Amino acid sequence: MDLGVNAEGNSAIREFIAVVLAGFGNELQPLTSDNGDEPCPKALIPVANTPVIDYTLSWLEKSGVKDVLLICPATHRPALSHHIHSSTSTTLVIDVVPFDESPDSSIGPCTLLRHFASRITNDFILLPCDFIPPPTLSLSSILDKFRTETVSDGAIATTCWFELNRLADAGKDKTSPPEEWGSAVSPATIVYHEPSGTLLHIDTPDDVDQDGEDLKLKMSLLNLYPRTVLASRYQDSHVYVCKHSVIEALQQKEHFDSFKEDFLPWLCKVQYSSSKRKKYERVLNPITNSPGQSIALRHSTLASASNIALKSKSAHYAREATISPSDSDTEETPLASLRVGAVIHPYSAGFAVRVNTLPAFLEVNRHFLSQTSYSLPTDPANRSLIDQKAQISADSMVAASTKVEERVSIKKSVIGKHCVISRMARIVGCVILDHCVIAEGAKLDGSILGKGTKVGPKAELIRCVTQSGYEVAAGESFKNEKLEVSDWAATSASETDDNDEDGETEGTETTEGDEDEDEDEDN
Amino acid sequence: MPPKQSNPKDPLISDDDEVLQAVILSDSFNKRFRPLTRRKPRCLLPICNAPLLDWTLESLALAGVQEIFVICRSYATQVKAALSKSKWSAPNSGIKITPIMTAKETFSPGDAMRDIYTRGLLTSDFVLVYGDLVSNIRIDDVVRVHKERRKVNKDAIMTMVVKEAGIGHRTRSRGESSVFVLDPETSECLHYEPVMGYPRKSVARIPREVVAAHPRIEIRNDLIDCQIDVCSVEVPSLFTDNFDYGDIRRDFVHGILTSDLLMKNIHCYIAKEGYAARVQDTRSYDSVSKDILSRWTFPMVPDNNHPADHAYEHIRGNKYIPKDNSVVLARTCKIGPKSLIGPASNCSEDTTITSSVIGANCVIGPRSTISNAYIFDNTVIGADCVIDRSIVGSNVQVKDGSRIERGCLVGDGVVVGPGAVLTPFERLMKKDDEGEDAAGGDNEEEEEEEDSDEEDLEEYQKNVKSILGKDSNALVWPRGPPEDEDEEDEENVENFTNQRFMRLGDDLSDLDSDSSADSSTDNSDSDSDSDTESVTSVATSTSASHVPTTPTIAVPSSAAVAEYEFRVEAKQSLERAFAEGHSVDNAAVELKTLRMASNVPLSRVREAVVGAIVERIKIGGEVAEQRKEIATVISRWGELINKIGGVDAVETITALQFHCAGSDRLPLFGQILAALYQEDIVEEEDIRAWHALPASKGAEVVPGLDADNIKKCWAVGERMIQQFDEQESSEEEDGGETDEGEGTTEGEGTTEEGTTEDESEEDSD
Repeated sequence: MDLGVNAEGNSAIREFIAVVLAGFGNELQPLTSDNGDEPCPKALIPVANTPVIDYTLSWLEKSGVKDVLLICPATHRPALSHHIHSSTSTTLVIDVVPFDESPDSSIGPCTLLRHFASRITNDFILLPCDFIPPPTLSLSSILDKFRTETVSDGAIATTCWFELNRLADAGKDKTSPPEEWGSAVSPATIVYHEPSGTLLHIDTPDDVDQDGEDLKLKMSLLNLYPRTVLASRYQDSHVYVCKHSVIEALQQKEHFDSFKEDFLPWLCKVQYSSSKRKKYERVLNPITNSPGQSIALRHSTLASASNIALKSKSAHYAREATISPSDSDTEETPLASLRVGAVIHPYSAGFAVRVNTLPAFLEVNRHFLSQTSYSLPTDPANRSLIDQKAQISADSMVAASTKVEERVSIKKSVIGKHCVISRMARIVGCVILDHCVIAEGAKLDGSILGKGTKVGPKAELIRCVTQSGYEVAAGESFKNEKLEVSDWAATSASETDDNDEDGETEGTETTEGDEDEDEDEDN
Repeated sequence: MPPKQSNPKDPLISDDDEVLQAVILSDSFNKRFRPLTRRKPRCLLPICNAPLLDWTLESLALAGVQEIFVICRSYATQVKAALSKSKWSAPNSGIKITPIMTAKETFSPGDAMRDIYTRGLLTSDFVLVYGDLVSNIRIDDVVRVHKERRKVNKDAIMTMVVKEAGIGHRTRSRGESSVFVLDPETSECLHYEPVMGYPRKSVARIPREVVAAHPRIEIRNDLIDCQIDVCSVEVPSLFTDNFDYGDIRRDFVHGILTSDLLMKNIHCYIAKEGYAARVQDTRSYDSVSKDILSRWTFPMVPDNNHPADHAYEHIRGNKYIPKDNSVVLARTCKIGPKSLIGPASNCSEDTTITSSVIGANCVIGPRSTISNAYIFDNTVIGADCVIDRSIVGSNVQVKDGSRIERGCLVGDGVVVGPGAVLTPFERLMKKDDEGEDAAGGDNEEEEEEEDSDEEDLEEYQKNVKSILGKDSNALVWPRGPPEDEDEEDEENVENFTNQRFMRLGDDLSDLDSDSSADSSTDNSDSDSDSDTESVTSVATSTSASHVPTTPTIAVPSSAAVAEYEFRVEAKQSLERAFAEGHSVDNAAVELKTLRMASNVPLSRVREAVVGAIVERIKIGGEVAEQRKEIATVISRWGELINKIGGVDAVETITALQFHCAGSDRLPLFGQILAALYQEDIVEEEDIRAWHALPASKGAEVVPGLDADNIKKCWAVGERMIQQFDEQESSEEEDGGETDEGEGTTEGEGTTEEGTTEDESEEDSD
């Protein structure tokens, strides 16, 4: 009862609207490939047996955001709606809006935002469905930075970057996923100002194309922020808190498609490029003073135009007075800074990841395993399905309604719901999604099994990924492969196309950014 | 530091026993100080009355250097002589100084390094500095860090000392600065990007391989390159291997960092404490002088460790007067903050000296004003001279009534005046006569060659706009880019436009406006690059405008701001009072409050009130209507003039005159004055007193105001006085209160008036 009243009452003064983009997840194929007519939305892929979108939604919920606009491909809508409405606990008001597109078409988040601009009436948070934030990084802290900076010096957006696991790049051990799965995320190169947390420059693939030798930085940037950090081990979380005016600017930049590769790098430049600033200042920083305030300002003796000059002049004098060899950079921005803030999350402060590649998916599952100890179902009904003689190591997870027969050995693995694991099966370092059936004596090592995969007796899978509904015949053995339904049954020509497409993307696209764009395109 | 290390095993540790060697490149390899450096090397130019080289030696001595090699090229004999006289050459000084005469063909620091290599002078890591360094950084710490690093990494061949500062720091040369790309953990310099003022650099390029190899690097555009380098022994040999290396930064550092073959590392030492700067150009001469006077170089300050062993007394406001009472200061002379007066100098009556350094045995004539200027020894400045932001050499005579504007360099022995007016940035040298060439000795032969031919110079004199005065013996140095090389090498730091960034007193306003004008349209991908011109130009104008331009002293810059602020506020307050019909008393209260808040003199309030009232009068209409309008305004508001906290009718009239002279209400002056007279705000004798003032006749040229207009007003007043004379018989009302209000002599009142007006004009620029 109370909840309803609150929602009603708050709706008028809602501060933020969250825009969650749930895409196809092309980089996660074949896990996200359709199983016949049944789609496997990326948002519902379970990570440690919880659909990935739930991490995002609960993160939002904890920060007190109420309104969520969930943009998804039209074909995914029923599944997503069902999932969202079946979970009762949430206080979020989630509006699932479909957008017609196929995995092949390319629709970027900028296009989507322009399309739904009418739905976004205030400051907004743009989130992916696949960001798994660490417990130490709360959305509120990002929102607080945004709130402070927009009011204090006219910042227009706040972004969030997290440091990648350095070891992941360095150590290619046995357990690391094979290269056939596609490259792990390569971090973006960014320039930021540490004391103020300002994002200044993003090195985009376009920049690399233009000049592969040198990274070019505007002197105007270096003059405004004389001491900056150039870092190349942070990944964009794709969480952007933006002022509503950013949408207006986006409307004007029609050719931008990807938010992080086109729009955000451009947005960073506005703060130090005077020509851009001149052009877009009005748009990005509209005068929002109410008439009453402007009248009050007119009556103030300090409100004349000459006063602005005076202010900066006196600031100069102040600076002169304090100038000294040990003077560090003095920042003075009498105008709205139009800065893009950046929350930088170090790796040491908690593991963050975007589940948008297969290696990342495996990594995050393993991360959760390392955090838990022996999470088997606790209620007797589910527990009784697990045979006493099964050997399940402490760093494994078995979900409800899964049957584990005797002398099964499970190590460092996540087992989904409603699976059946028959006698003598050996599962090491795997992620097995729901409804899988693993026959007697099968051997699985470092593999990911899509939903409803059937593994025949004595089959052997080493570091493979299977599409949803794939069937491995008895005694078959695969290593380092992506097993897709089309390989096996050639169900439809379109799916074969998909796979080809997939192969291509895997080959050509290396950066995480590309992937991201794909994901959002899919919407 | 213990002289002996306890661990003899490690051969590197024993390095500590070795003497710390330093190399001073006494030559600057450029000509930025010409013509001051025509007869002596730059390192012997005095800064704060001690030769630069002595400051450098002092700096090195402070850092514990034990053996110094001084590389001399131009005027080597002079340098050598100066060294032998230096206190550090004394046998007990603990420092061994060896002058090294290098060949005339040494054209760059690189050549000097190659020469050092061939001579094989250096045995261990050494400190490399220029002969124009002023520093109090503990260089021995840098050497220690460098040696520690060498133990681990043999390829760390050099450590550059840099100093943290803001981007707009006055000591940071805009013409020649650099962006350092550093590894924040090891402070290895990964990339060096030289930055020039012109051609303007729009983009800094950082090699992607550097980015790929280092996940986190720092880009520093806020460092002052002190050009103190701790070098390993192999550095000179690297110069020899790469015979095209000229400049240490542009060629050597850049070459080492970009070389795939050498695999050597260069590190930076970011000095958190201490001060170090090179006097690279006239602009930095100014800033380093001010830094010394502001005691950033402590313990090397004029009253302590002065390299020329002068003894100064430090007076509040960073003024320095010799302790030996050899200076003659007239009772009425004014010495402003940041000033240094050399021994046996003489400041006559009513001289004003602000932020300036006066050499020894100088004479400053009466009523002369010297601000932000540097005057070397034995120079005589005549009466009523103005010298602003300039450097005047030694044995110069500036005769009466001369003006030397900003940025001028006056060479040794020049005589100018009387009544000389130098345009800004003029450079004067003494005409060579009486066979001085021969006397100059063989060192200068080559210099003479380089000097533009005498005939060319003579030719040039015809185009000179400056007035040199009849007694002058000066030749004006040609300005502008050399004509013979039209296609000047823009890449060279010494290109003409870039030189302007290093010039004393140049505010570069035209350069900045140019560059911001060319900022092109915005194509999302290829950006116009002159972007932050707005930002940079702000910084420039700061650096240029920070020099207080007011001739009155002891007006700290903050007061100027407060006054400006006051004017704006007073104007607005009065406008509101007019518009909303406040009572005179209320308006007066408001003005009094404002005056207290801004702490401005009463005269300033009076000017504001008079100005506002005059502007209140609408122009136009018939003569009668106009008169009526004036009468209404004055009767309504005139009273306010005397209610602001003091009465000084003469000043009121002067304020009115000056305001009218600069306004389109000039024709109304007479009528307004009459109206004031009608309202008893001014009395007849006030008008007479005003009329008698020299300022009211336009005797003092107030910049920005038309002297003719002032004279017109004065003429109007004169007519009025004639009228008074005619109606002599009329009643004589006494203006007792006015007399009381004035109190002080009128002469003083007006001079103050004149100066304040002057000041306000310059402020509004």
